[in-house]
Amino acid sequence: MRKQRSSPILSLVMILAAAVVGVPFYYIVVNTFKTQRETSASPLAPPTSLYLDNYVRVFENTPILQSFLNTVYVTAVSIVIMLVIGSMAAYAMLLRTNLINRVAGVLLVIAFLVPGQATLIPVYRILVELQLVDSLEGLIMLYTAGSIFCYFLIQGYLRSLPISIFEAARIDGAGPWQIYWRIVLPLIRPILITVGVFQTMWIWNDFITPNVFISSPDKQTLVLQVYKAVGEYSVDWPAFMTLSVIVLIPVVIFFIVMQRHIVNGLLQGSVKG
Amino acid sequence: MTVLGRRAPAVTGALSWLMSPKRLEGLRLQAFMVPIGVVFAVLFAIPLAQSLYFSVTDFNGYSTKVNFVGLENYRKIFTDPSMLAGLGFTLLYAIGTTVIVTVLAIPLAVLLNRRFFGRNVVRAVFFFPAIPSIAILGLVWAFILSPLGSGAINWLLDAVGGFGPVPWLSDGTLAQLSVIMVAVWSSTGWHAILYLAYLQAIPGDYYEAARVDGASARQAFFRITLPLLAPAVTVSSLLLMTGGLKVYDLPYTLTKGGPGYATFTITQSIIQSGIAQAKFGQASALAVVFMLVVGAIVALQLVLSRRLEGRLS
Repeated sequence: MRKQRSSPILSLVMILAAAVVGVPFYYIVVNTFKTQRETSASPLAPPTSLYLDNYVRVFENTPILQSFLNTVYVTAVSIVIMLVIGSMAAYAMLLRTNLINRVAGVLLVIAFLVPGQATLIPVYRILVELQLVDSLEGLIMLYTAGSIFCYFLIQGYLRSLPISIFEAARIDGAGPWQIYWRIVLPLIRPILITVGVFQTMWIWNDFITPNVFISSPDKQTLVLQVYKAVGEYSVDWPAFMTLSVIVLIPVVIFFIVMQRHIVNGLLQGSVKG
Repeated sequence: MTVLGRRAPAVTGALSWLMSPKRLEGLRLQAFMVPIGVVFAVLFAIPLAQSLYFSVTDFNGYSTKVNFVGLENYRKIFTDPSMLAGLGFTLLYAIGTTVIVTVLAIPLAVLLNRRFFGRNVVRAVFFFPAIPSIAILGLVWAFILSPLGSGAINWLLDAVGGFGPVPWLSDGTLAQLSVIMVAVWSSTGWHAILYLAYLQAIPGDYYEAARVDGASARQAFFRITLPLLAPAVTVSSLLLMTGGLKVYDLPYTLTKGGPGYATFTITQSIIQSGIAQAKFGQASALAVVFMLVVGAIVALQLVLSRRLEGRLS
């Protein structure tokens, strides 16, 4: 095939379009270096000096570190739990195709299609009963619902592997646990990373669950904290934008490092979803 | 004696089968299903059954005496103005974002597939708005669209054309439009990347052959690209539609569901009536209706796009 030539006009148009799409990010970054008066005079102008008071004030007034640690804790624990539960189920379903597991397969598809909204109120009551409302462990419990999505993707990946690997291990005398631990988990590493990255984005960014279930300020996740800060800062726009920028920094780093895996997850998730 | 003698091996046979290594191994393997079974029961089956049950009773969370009220709660939700408004905007949002994002993402993907200087950076910039929490982006956009000093868009309109602040978020129709446009901004690049993956799977020979046969670029797009993208359209529009129906974060952070109930959503309605106001019956009925609507739309869309794919390919 003839090699396509690079077009300068297309390049110009696309870079301009991308610049327009990126304006909101430019907007929040530049305003963190301005006073409120400068912001309202011209919200899109670049800062005139390296004004850092907003950062100092936000770090002093807002327990960002606490929320950051809360978010990391909830995300990390939830991801580990859902990957373990999902991969265990996928492994059992692959090697044991009895009636129970076939019925379970159908039930899991149905569960996957049920929107969280449909179970929200009873789930809220269950958490009240268990005294897990307004606790990070309660959030983790809710996020384990994501195991079902993990199960689907891992199961798809496991099916693409030759089943003889597991048979051979069994003949060599390995038990189910040994096969799972020594053979299955190392083999499915690529899909675990893909699903893990994808689910990390969901939990890290989730707003609805913490907003409904968390009320104590010291148990907020980052997203919830930004939401609550809007009310507290009221018209102190630069302070709000500074907080947003601080919260977005880990997301940007994550995006740069994990871009390939995010795209992978998008494609795999879309095939299953 | 003979009878017993004949039976004994059968009994020990059954026992040894029960205790056989193969059987034990099977049970140990079956145990791997227990955790997901617990998740299914606690987070799906039991709550779903409770939702169905609450939806036909007058349970309010405190009363010990619960009465069966039939379809009363279902009747109520279809006469409650806020719930109807939530239903209306949710549908508008889901259909609006699905159509607009699809129409924009396909040509964008075709352009991103061409060779040009800065392509990787441009791809990343278009893709990025889908990465951070849409709740935070909604808050940021509330500042951008504000009529106050932080409002960059109104500032720009004033600086360029000299016309006064547009009430982006305080006029009902404009607020609906604003929510949908922010959603389009954040998800078009994401879906373009999805289409791009399918585009890259189309063999270049097809276009080469079309060119040799004298087809124009337009013809090549409509006769080759679009039909081969049909499976991608199914996937992408299904994701947009189901995501759109479940929407909550963006309208809630951008407009709080207002002005009035202009951008109120089903999800917000379920949370507000079910948790804040403890109207379990009504909220559960709405949740059940919602689940059925989502299921029906998913099924309908799958049937339609299967048919469309069949015709195109």
